[in-house]
Amino acid sequence: MLFPEDLRYSEEHEWVRRDGADAVIGITDFAQDQLGDIVYVDLPDVGVEAIAGAAVGEVESTKSVSEIYTPVTGEIVAVNGDLTNTPEIVNQDPFGGGWLLRIRLTDPAEVDALLDAAAYRALVDG
Amino acid sequence: MAADVALLATARAEGAAYLRIYRFGAPTLTLGRFQPESDVDFDAAARLGVEVVRRPTGGRALLHGREVTYAVALERPAGPEGSVHALYAYLAGALIHALRQLGVESAVARLRTGTTTPACFTGVEGADLRVGTRKVCGSAQLQRDGWVLQHGSVLLDRLPFDESDLLRFPDAATRLEVRRMLGERTVTLRELGVVAPARTVADALIGGFATI
Repeated sequence: MLFPEDLRYSEEHEWVRRDGADAVIGITDFAQDQLGDIVYVDLPDVGVEAIAGAAVGEVESTKSVSEIYTPVTGEIVAVNGDLTNTPEIVNQDPFGGGWLLRIRLTDPAEVDALLDAAAYRALVDG
Repeated sequence: MAADVALLATARAEGAAYLRIYRFGAPTLTLGRFQPESDVDFDAAARLGVEVVRRPTGGRALLHGREVTYAVALERPAGPEGSVHALYAYLAGALIHALRQLGVESAVARLRTGTTTPACFTGVEGADLRVGTRKVCGSAQLQRDGWVLQHGSVLLDRLPFDESDLLRFPDAATRLEVRRMLGERTVTLRELGVVAPARTVADALIGGFATI
């Protein structure tokens, strides 16, 4: 189970990577492992305003549908179009090619308030 | 299906777990949450008097007819116990108990067939209960806001048609193959020698869920 040190995490099992004025968001290795084989990812339209804590999409695994929450507020400036045809990338590379959204941050301090890798690992280890 | 979503919302609002047992008033084909409508042969559905609706849960098309359906809404446990597979295993305990009360010994399906067809019951997965290698109860899940809806059905008997008559296939051979798989990989209570009224099966489900 991977917990990259350079990322921040939400309690709903999303990761956030700061990239200048943006945040790139995906689901964690723990989350993809819990969901099982992902067969479909439903993402919002670019230009939509995302509010921290709100559901912005859904991930369907072989036998379950789960919501995706944004841990930060801002405008969605990009979504990962590769997932339309190859959603399994989320299982294979959750912190890289399996990214979900890019959000132009309204308040960059929101990222700093999220869990660091150690705190997130403690959360999932129970 | 809207009632199942409402069950999830009510459970969450009240902080309680809920169980709903029901039957479909008419044969109904339910599509998975994101399954394309183009999978459905709507002319065939109209001809056979089959309604078509969409489930809030994942998976593929499923024909509901002579069955008893359950829906359960509960809070998702924190940590690994909240994973899709752990929840299926937990709730399977209730279903196994219910089937045992009816004289049927079932187990959680371990095999994943790897066969992808638009028909749900052609696959046998860890979410399902089998007798031997044949599926007797299939289930699907929705996780939302830390709460879980799982619904599924126990097959009592077959209808004179199945999913292969209601879905579109690239050719006749594929349709026949799906029909064969549905027959081979599923089993009904009647085929297992259990001819029980729906009410008895419903009571067994209630008894099963009372044990977990």
